[in-house]
Amino acid sequence: MTAPAHPLRAPAAPGLRVVIGARARRRPRVGSWLLLTAVLLVAFFLLIYSRIALDRSAFVLQEVNRQTAVEEARYWQLRLEAAELQAPERILERAQEMGFVYPESVQVVEVPGMGSAGTGTEERWADLKALLGAQP
Amino acid sequence: MSLPPAAPPRRSRGLNSRLVMVGVALTLAWLGVGYRLVVVQGTRAEEYAARGLGQRLHTETLAADRGTIFDAEGRELALTVDSVTVYANPREVTEPAVEARYLASLTGQDPQQVEELLAGNGTFVYVARQLDPADADRVRAAELPGIYFLHEPKRVYPAGPLTAQIVGFVQPDSNVGLEGLEYEYETELAGTPGQLRVERDPAGRTIPQGEYSVIPAEPGSDLVLTLRTPIQYAATQALRDALQRTGARAGSVVVLDPATGGVLAMVNLPGFDPDNRVNLLPEQVRNRAVTDLFEPGSTQKLVTVSAALETGLVVPGTTLEIPERIEILDTVFQDFTQHPDRLSVTEIVAQSSNLGTILLGEMLGARRLHEFMVGFGQGRETGIDFPGEAAGVLHPPEEWCPTTCVAGTSIGYHVSVTALQMASAYATIANDGVRVRPHLVAEIVDGRGSRVPVEPQQQQVVSAETARQVREMLAAVVERGTGSLAAIPGYRVGGKTGTTKKYLSESGEYSDEDVVASFIGMAPIDHPRVVVAVVLDGPREDASGGKGAAPVFSAVALAALHQLGVPPDAP
Repeated sequence: MTAPAHPLRAPAAPGLRVVIGARARRRPRVGSWLLLTAVLLVAFFLLIYSRIALDRSAFVLQEVNRQTAVEEARYWQLRLEAAELQAPERILERAQEMGFVYPESVQVVEVPGMGSAGTGTEERWADLKALLGAQP
Repeated sequence: MSLPPAAPPRRSRGLNSRLVMVGVALTLAWLGVGYRLVVVQGTRAEEYAARGLGQRLHTETLAADRGTIFDAEGRELALTVDSVTVYANPREVTEPAVEARYLASLTGQDPQQVEELLAGNGTFVYVARQLDPADADRVRAAELPGIYFLHEPKRVYPAGPLTAQIVGFVQPDSNVGLEGLEYEYETELAGTPGQLRVERDPAGRTIPQGEYSVIPAEPGSDLVLTLRTPIQYAATQALRDALQRTGARAGSVVVLDPATGGVLAMVNLPGFDPDNRVNLLPEQVRNRAVTDLFEPGSTQKLVTVSAALETGLVVPGTTLEIPERIEILDTVFQDFTQHPDRLSVTEIVAQSSNLGTILLGEMLGARRLHEFMVGFGQGRETGIDFPGEAAGVLHPPEEWCPTTCVAGTSIGYHVSVTALQMASAYATIANDGVRVRPHLVAEIVDGRGSRVPVEPQQQQVVSAETARQVREMLAAVVERGTGSLAAIPGYRVGGKTGTTKKYLSESGEYSDEDVVASFIGMAPIDHPRVVVAVVLDGPREDASGGKGAAPVFSAVALAALHQLGVPPDAP
């Protein structure tokens, strides 16, 4: 008579136990790849967004420059208008329309201590011109 | 018993070969694409990139803003504004007649002329140049086919004819100075153009992130003149009245600040409107005060008497025996006013005695007289910053004839001067004997706002004491002499009348009828703030310095004194 058959078993290593029938579970490293992909996607979209923002700013700047040129042109038109309004012929004509006449005698009143006139228009213009000149 | 696995179904030979052919074709196609990719992106990448850049990259000139011209009080006399030029592509104009009528109604042009332009064969024609932007907007709103717009800088002159001959004007297309101060200071006013390198799309829009580099334009410098518009206006009105009253064909007025040499006013009539230069005559454009020559006549006596005093030959009270006439060969010199037989030097000037002045000239002699004439600036340009100045005519003494030249030159003949030269000579006496170079520009303001003042040269010609003595003599001319009409209420003024026969070059003789009437004076006489020179060419009525020109001096000097805030000084 022979002994009943028993399946062969590998001797267990010390400290280990033999698990029969259970598959060893290996955890896949999917999380790192997902993280990397997410970072790349975010970086990609940030790059695209920054380019779009820069381009948008460039268009805005172009529009601002255009508006500046329009306002500058308007400024010079107003200066021309102001200069024409100051023409002596026009002032004389308006004065005559308002009933002004040349005086028959002129009285001169001297006020002691009166200084000279302050800075004139041309000096204020020199300051403004320096500012305008700084623009490209 | 297990069955052997089933054998795979057999594909037909025809299907296999078609698949192979498709595969080969696709492979070839992709190889071609790959090859082209390698060529475009690899071997010829630079060439294609450069070609693309060449299409996108534009180099544009940035026009420099032309400088503004101001008067002494900051009023603009010349400035640049934006304007719009309307042009057309006749090939795109669908209905020339209709569009012409509409355009003409908006721009004020002749419809016929506009229609001819729009019906032409070319692709570009100007319709209306340099319109006001508001007027151009009305044309733009009409959206006429074939009509386009171009922005251009336009030079405008708010003072109009008042300062036209001084300021000058520019060429409309290029804005380059052609006359006057616009020409003289072209380099300063024009500035330096810049450059823009930019990538643009086919619609002309700037491509963001593309190449963009700019060299900014350097704006032109501004000019601040010595001119005062109110005095300029008063001088213009007074001269216009005088031309009407006397029937003179032309005239000039120069107003100088004797201390600085600044030109406060410079007027010539007839003048012109700088915004309407069609059919302009040269005589309207030229600045007669610096270009036209005349023999100064009795106004030259200032130089002769100053020389006699400065050299110590006489003093104001020295009396001379005045003959009835002086005959030199066939030339007879006479006085035209009644006076005693003996006159002091002061009375010689007050009565404008030719004979007394000739005696002084003979005492001086040709060399010394010539020396003082040169000292007072005669025979050479004053150096004013204005183009086309005439130097005048003054021959060296060795070329003077030994007979009548000293006599004639003493009383203002044989020498040719400009109105500005005579004004400058009188300004020398007004400025205690110091001659200051006349100038129109007081300072230049560059593109960054830095101000550079003009520093004119100065030269002592006679002593302050001599100048003071001569000024008193000039006062006597007005107070009891030939210049009474030059008097100004409330002020002590002085000056000298001049009535010179015009030399007719065709006949080589002096005219009996055509004269140059002048008056040159200063006020207030003790410390003159203004010198005014008035010259009338060919007056028919009041044809003398005392009657024709002296009243102009009175009006102009009074206006100038008021503008400068000079209080009255007469007791």
